[in-house]
Amino acid sequence: MSFFSIMSKVLNLSLIYASFRAATPIIYAALCASVTQQANILNIGTEGIMLIGAFTAVTVSYFTGSWILGVLCAMLAGVVIALIMAVGHIKFGADICGIGMGINMLALAITKFLLKAIYDVNGAFSSPQIKVIPKVSIPFLDNVPVIGTLLNNWSLTEWFAIILIIVLQFFIFKTVWGLRLRAVGQFPEAAKTAGIKVNAVKYRAMAISGLIGGLAGAHLSLGYSSQFIENMTSSRGFMGVAAMYFGGANPVKASIGCLLFGFADSIGARLQAYGLPSQFVLMMPYIVTIVVLAISMAAQLRSAKRRQSSLN
Amino acid sequence: MSEYVVEMKDIIKTFGQVQAVKNGQFNLRKGEIHSLIGENGAGKSTMMKLLYGMYPINSGEIIIKGERMGEITPMMAIERGIGMVHQEFMLVSELTVLENIILGFEPRKGLRLDLDKARADVRKYIEEYQMDVQLDKRISQISVGEAQRVEIIKTLMRGADVIILDEPTAVLTPQEAERLFEILENLKSSGKSIVFISHKLNEVMQISDRISVMRQGQYMGTVNKSETSPLDLTKRMIGREVFLNIEKDYGKVGEKILDVQDVWVSSNKETSKIRGMSLSVRAGEIVGVAGIDGNGQSELVEAITGLRKVEKGKVIVCGKDVTNKSVKVIRGAGMAHIPEDRNRMGLDRAMSIRDNLVTVRVDEAPFSKHGILQLSAQDAYSEQMVKEFDIRPTDYHLPTSSLSGGNAQKVVVAREVSMKKQLLIASQPTRGVDIGAIEQIRNTLEKAKKEGSGVLLVSAELEEIISLSDRIIVIHEGKITGEMMASEANENNLGLLMMGGAKGGAEHA
Amino acid sequence: MKSVKDGIVRILLTMVLALLIGAVLILAIGENPISAYRALLKGAFVGKLSLGTTLASFTPLLLTSMAFVVAAQAGAFNVGVEGEVFLGGITAAYIGYQWDFLPAPLLMIACFAGAMVVTALWAFIPAWLKAYYNVSEVCTTILMNSVALYITSYLVSGPMSAGSANPQSPPVLVKLKQFMRPSSVNVGIFLAIAVVLLVIFMLYRTSMGYKFRLVGTNPAFADFTGINSKHVFIKAMMVSGMIGGIAGTIEVLGVYGYFLNNFATGLGSNGMLAALIVKSNVVATPFMAFFLAVLKSGAMGMQQATGVPKGLVDTITAVFIIIATMETLFDFLKRRKSDETKIELKDFGVSASSANSAAAGTDGKRPADQKGGKS
Repeated sequence: MSFFSIMSKVLNLSLIYASFRAATPIIYAALCASVTQQANILNIGTEGIMLIGAFTAVTVSYFTGSWILGVLCAMLAGVVIALIMAVGHIKFGADICGIGMGINMLALAITKFLLKAIYDVNGAFSSPQIKVIPKVSIPFLDNVPVIGTLLNNWSLTEWFAIILIIVLQFFIFKTVWGLRLRAVGQFPEAAKTAGIKVNAVKYRAMAISGLIGGLAGAHLSLGYSSQFIENMTSSRGFMGVAAMYFGGANPVKASIGCLLFGFADSIGARLQAYGLPSQFVLMMPYIVTIVVLAISMAAQLRSAKRRQSSLN
Repeated sequence: MSEYVVEMKDIIKTFGQVQAVKNGQFNLRKGEIHSLIGENGAGKSTMMKLLYGMYPINSGEIIIKGERMGEITPMMAIERGIGMVHQEFMLVSELTVLENIILGFEPRKGLRLDLDKARADVRKYIEEYQMDVQLDKRISQISVGEAQRVEIIKTLMRGADVIILDEPTAVLTPQEAERLFEILENLKSSGKSIVFISHKLNEVMQISDRISVMRQGQYMGTVNKSETSPLDLTKRMIGREVFLNIEKDYGKVGEKILDVQDVWVSSNKETSKIRGMSLSVRAGEIVGVAGIDGNGQSELVEAITGLRKVEKGKVIVCGKDVTNKSVKVIRGAGMAHIPEDRNRMGLDRAMSIRDNLVTVRVDEAPFSKHGILQLSAQDAYSEQMVKEFDIRPTDYHLPTSSLSGGNAQKVVVAREVSMKKQLLIASQPTRGVDIGAIEQIRNTLEKAKKEGSGVLLVSAELEEIISLSDRIIVIHEGKITGEMMASEANENNLGLLMMGGAKGGAEHA
Repeated sequence: MKSVKDGIVRILLTMVLALLIGAVLILAIGENPISAYRALLKGAFVGKLSLGTTLASFTPLLLTSMAFVVAAQAGAFNVGVEGEVFLGGITAAYIGYQWDFLPAPLLMIACFAGAMVVTALWAFIPAWLKAYYNVSEVCTTILMNSVALYITSYLVSGPMSAGSANPQSPPVLVKLKQFMRPSSVNVGIFLAIAVVLLVIFMLYRTSMGYKFRLVGTNPAFADFTGINSKHVFIKAMMVSGMIGGIAGTIEVLGVYGYFLNNFATGLGSNGMLAALIVKSNVVATPFMAFFLAVLKSGAMGMQQATGVPKGLVDTITAVFIIIATMETLFDFLKRRKSDETKIELKDFGVSASSANSAAAGTDGKRPADQKGGKS
């Protein structure tokens, strides 16, 4: 088969949805990291918050039979974890990278432990009793050719990701809360002299980040899949952080970065059918993330250099 | 209610071991401009920060508009009509002017920020006091003078009728300072009370109604402007009439040690970009660089010393072209450097005095051999330096973070001067150090010159420039605006050149 | 020294707190914490196999924690040690079964040398990106760990496969001698200890180590004195990578005798934890590595003797690190008074230096710089 015929099979309409679908967990993670980054807190614990959210969602959904409760409890769990980080960092002076990595280890260990303690399984848990987040099917779209393929049967949380991007963009850049958040992140002393309670703003940002991170996890285990697997986030949280860097903590720009990772992911998956080893497929999003991150940072440096030059 | 809007009595404030304010007294009448003067570290800014609630006082009494304050927070101070324009502007550089002004007191419409209402509110003040600012520019895009007006509008928006300005002219050009004074007069005539913190006597004499003096944390009295003179104020500030005049010895000047040829250098600030500068330093002379802070002095020094890229032009040290060479190469060519910010660049505060003394030569014998540190040689050297430069405490195993400003600076000077390089770049060598250390550091520079080094001295203190230099170069917005022998220089002609040689404002310099 | 004593007290308190939280978890699943911890200790120390297993798991942790410490001394947060263990291991395995033309001692040296070269180059990538483009090394090293894992996994299931059911490489031709069978502890442990001593000597007695520490505490000052902080940073990351490579080589040549897919999972992160708990203190880190090795090897015994799953131990370790990072958590033990002065002194320092930078035109202290920077 020629290169072009492979490419034409790989690059088709459903690739767009596949890219977006692969990107949504990372988009949630990037939003989770962006909110705190606006307050100048690098949320390296995104990965852990997500993982705990994912486990909580599956567990609650399994025992109550309600995906809504699952999602809500996941978000609550996310807030708890985020606040542990916040207290450690803000009140007790913990290095944010240190405590963030600690949270990630904790998430990995405690979900593994609970998987064994609650379900007596190792590695993964799935059951038909887990109620998943429903898909939105719009009957009349079935008959519309392009849009039908593209938009129908999205999971609810996939739609919600788009809403959340817009809502966060609005809140960060158009509201009092957002203005204060940005002021605290960029120049806390200035915010303090303006009478803003800097730490309260930071705690709030962390709590919101926890909500989003928990939702990210719930989406991963109840929307994107329907089970819990040990370490199922597999660095998506870190990719979210990378995307946050890429977008300069701007929700819309960070999400565009995530789509890039999702694109790499789904292209790889398709190429696997044509003999590309699975390991290469799996490592593709990580490499793309690193490359994109490097390019975006280099571009930022370049534009700063140009602005500072004496020759223009 | 008393005649004063603010009264501060018998204030004591200590930070750890340091007694920043020992006996602070201050009062402010409605509708006056009251200057608070004193040298660096005299406690004048601390006094006002106490009033603004930035730290708690240890003892004493603060009364605002008749209300005795138990404890003050910035929020309480703001509520009682006190506003402060800090030395370092409290402005978020990536937010717009308008966003900065309303920060903390944002008008809202539902969830949204109500920027239209904010704009209308701010306009009132802009018109009333003629303080034109561009509301939609980001702070990073506007000039220092404009940023200062933004700060003043901020305090007014919060309903301030007592406005504290901490060293407001330190970062302004004379023209901008002149504008500021007009605004202050406007504010005063509308009934606002103003505290003006400064150590520049000419400004204080121009603008104040009353003047309070502080020296080393002590209150030294308050006088009406009409009853005092700059000489009288100097005596109160410093305790003696003139100080630190070093016997100048115009020695024999040798060959060119430093030659800067049409150099262009980048900067984050427009006014600090260097656009075509040439100068030279010869063996056995001190060349002073005078200028208002932020006019490219730092960038010039960094470009010469290899810390910043030279975009165009050449730097020659001891006959060797070192343009854009590494710091190591430039130092190897014969350069030593006392940096302007000793805590960031001059020292590693986590490491010991010894470690800080050997840093530049750590790869050389006798301090290391084959990559292995020779600690006994380092100890011997440190012992000698501590003695020679009178560094206290003398235990060189202590981290430099435990040293006072003066002693920390002595470590820097000891390291750089003891190498006896032919070119010594000294940037703000006496900033923030006590008077004893100032004297010693200035003598050290003199000695280096006598021993045949060329010294490039950059200082914001005109008095320091005039008394130490043989030749003086004045820069303004990254360009040289004048050059003269020190014998011809005085505060007037230098001041004129520092504002770019413009005519306006010369009479106030 | 007072600060050393303070440090030890803090660590002990942290340890007690972590074990208490662990006890609560054990109670929650209906087991007896005291017998669980006793079984854990027994599983780590009693018997040749137990003790040997503890020492065998100590060996890589000692090296990976030291790898993290070396990077941390120069201000780098190298999460990538794990990937370096994988790549070091695969390189050693490749050389170990391919270069049969070399006599055994030379082959052994070649294995180590090859692993060190590969891992140093691997560590160069994030270091260079950080030094010259300010790309967070935390992010890149985490992502590169996954890449390293997949590269090795591809190699042992494809080009370097031994053809067995498990993805693994053919056996190597040289091995490090095991001396406490049936446990897998081998002479690599002495090598590891030697490496650690060498690293400590390097850090405190050589000019290279001096520069590492200087760049770790004040890179601007290093640059100012003519020591290129970027080069030093990269060098430190590469040394860190090499130590990770040595760890991988010892595992392959000493424990398995071949490269087993996924073998290093957790080795790097556990080493990092050991270092983080004691804030990368060079002397304390090996002890913490040993403590974690005890927990790790005792966990199996605990799981067998009681109903407590071994995953609990990882949880306790994670709690341990989280508490340990909280610098000021135990400050209530000190007198309140001194605490207050400390805070005020800090304020004073800040205000004094900000006054300086304001006078200097506030250059370089633009808040925009704070964003995305190292926190």
